[in-house]
Amino acid sequence: MAIRTDVVRLYREVHTWTGILTGLILFVCFHAGALTMFKEPLERWITPPADAAPAAFERAADLITITKALRPNVTDFTLAVEPVLTGDAPLRLTWTDERIDPAPWAATLAPDGTVTVDRLDPSGIGLLVDVLHRTAGIPGDLDIGTMVTGIASALYVVALVSGVIILLPSLVKDFLALRVTANLKRLWLDAHNVLGLISLPFHIVIALTAVVFGLHDQIYDALDEVVYDGRMRTVMVASSPFRSVAKDTTPAAMLPPWEFLHRAQALSPGFHPVSLEYHDAGTRAATVRVWGHDPRHLVRREGFVLMGAVDGRIIDTEYMPGHQGGWSATVSTFFALHFGSFGGELVRWSYFVLGLAGALLFYTGNLLWIESRRRTERRAGGPVMQSRATSLLAAGTVGVCLGCVGGLSVTIAAGKWLNGTVTDLHAWHWGIYYAAFLGACGWAFLRGAARAGVELLWASAAATAAIPATSLLGWLLPALGPWGPGGLIGVDLVALAGALGLGGMARLAGRRARRGPRDSVWSARTAPVDRVLAVPAAE
Amino acid sequence: MADARHPARPPQPPIRRDWWSKSFAGVLLGFTLAIALSGLVTWVGPGGPLAMNKFQFTMWIVAPVWLGVVSFCFLFRSGLRAWLWLGGANLLAYAALLASRGPLPH
Repeated sequence: MAIRTDVVRLYREVHTWTGILTGLILFVCFHAGALTMFKEPLERWITPPADAAPAAFERAADLITITKALRPNVTDFTLAVEPVLTGDAPLRLTWTDERIDPAPWAATLAPDGTVTVDRLDPSGIGLLVDVLHRTAGIPGDLDIGTMVTGIASALYVVALVSGVIILLPSLVKDFLALRVTANLKRLWLDAHNVLGLISLPFHIVIALTAVVFGLHDQIYDALDEVVYDGRMRTVMVASSPFRSVAKDTTPAAMLPPWEFLHRAQALSPGFHPVSLEYHDAGTRAATVRVWGHDPRHLVRREGFVLMGAVDGRIIDTEYMPGHQGGWSATVSTFFALHFGSFGGELVRWSYFVLGLAGALLFYTGNLLWIESRRRTERRAGGPVMQSRATSLLAAGTVGVCLGCVGGLSVTIAAGKWLNGTVTDLHAWHWGIYYAAFLGACGWAFLRGAARAGVELLWASAAATAAIPATSLLGWLLPALGPWGPGGLIGVDLVALAGALGLGGMARLAGRRARRGPRDSVWSARTAPVDRVLAVPAAE
Repeated sequence: MADARHPARPPQPPIRRDWWSKSFAGVLLGFTLAIALSGLVTWVGPGGPLAMNKFQFTMWIVAPVWLGVVSFCFLFRSGLRAWLWLGGANLLAYAALLASRGPLPH
């Protein structure tokens, strides 16, 4: 396809700038995002198998009655359904003090009929991975980190468009060509193009939806001023599922929980309920949201039907898969396309692989930036020193990317050792991640990209190998503390594959550092300094 | 060569880079334009402003319009042209939005 060369040159610069500004943030978002596809198995990997016999779901009504007597002020709570029906979890009500709270309160029914109320201390590794995905690890208020990744995603859209524009003229010639020759820049460019092009639809979807997730507050504020004349609240309330529910604090008896499951099933036979969320429980205005999924529809992670908890009437189905209006269903599709919450296990694994491939795309992008600014001995006619900018970016790329990969692996592995021996495991998870991440960044700048790259790759491989090693040790020597894989072998197998991959990269990087061309930021062989200084500045 | 096939047309002047001017025009005027077009869909599009959960959909379409303008604003031949064209588009869009906006219930 013919595009004027000055346009291509223009957009090459747009692509370079947007890419270099966002590459490292997006690497963290994508690596953590790939892991969010499997946060439930990760959480289970760190949680010891429950030995208490779970109570039957039919006794959930008793649990609600007793909890109301013990904690009269708690009127909003969630009853997990799915893990109770499969016998994986005790019958339990949970509620939180804040919107995102790693340590929810729980009222648990023992088989003998007693109810204990205590604060749970879950690993929360799923929450960590999710927050890391949404903020790239920027500490402090969640809203700030989310806004930063939202802006990065906006630049990422522009990087995608400009990347396609500069690729179009040579598309036929270059498509799916991976030229493994001595020309390393060519190889990285081909790898970058192949990765970017075959996953382009995924990237467009993820980029545009991520902009909305990151910046929706700001967009809504602008729309409120300009489009709704400051009265957007009215419009939002008119669409709220609770719009017809009037506050009424008169005490009233509620239907038993299984009744809501029957009614949801009657409404939509393909719907699989996973939890019941109560609001204003025990009053005449009590409602319950039956949350669940339906594999036949593109839905947000889960959909729900809202019912009256006293009479069981159906109040709202705008978020119920297959019962939504056109606008709601369209928006649910956008959510589903970002979350990969459709198409079952195949899509889940595809999103995992595409997420990791996306991280690799940003990594190769940074490598290309470095490679295209390389000072070569051939052109300078003697030993050269690489520029400060390329050395710094190389060190930063190695430190941030491998700090993220190694940090996540080591905090996952550590979770199984620490669970039950420390309080506030979630805070430990964050502490370990940040220590590893910042340590890797510091190490990379201290040692330089060439040496640190090899060392951090080995360290990441070791950290990732620690995940299956922990399970293996727990299986062989249960007295040590950790437990074996049980019925959950996937986490260990994926980590093993990851460790082998990182180990392979470490070997290749080591070989290049020792024996590769000396005129590169990736070479550990430094040119004799006196000769470098004697060489007149290139060009 | 394209010029050889169209000898009558003078060669096009090269595109001026004008990075800052074009970027600001795209980010700022692209955003205001996207807000106005989203508002037009809100008021003129099917169902009117109060259709169930339509406000979410119209919020979603701001991002692709905005970033589409940012992505392609570098094709303007100069920064000044970017400001003039996008400014004009904004004027038209806001005139149409003001004309179509009606009262909302309290």
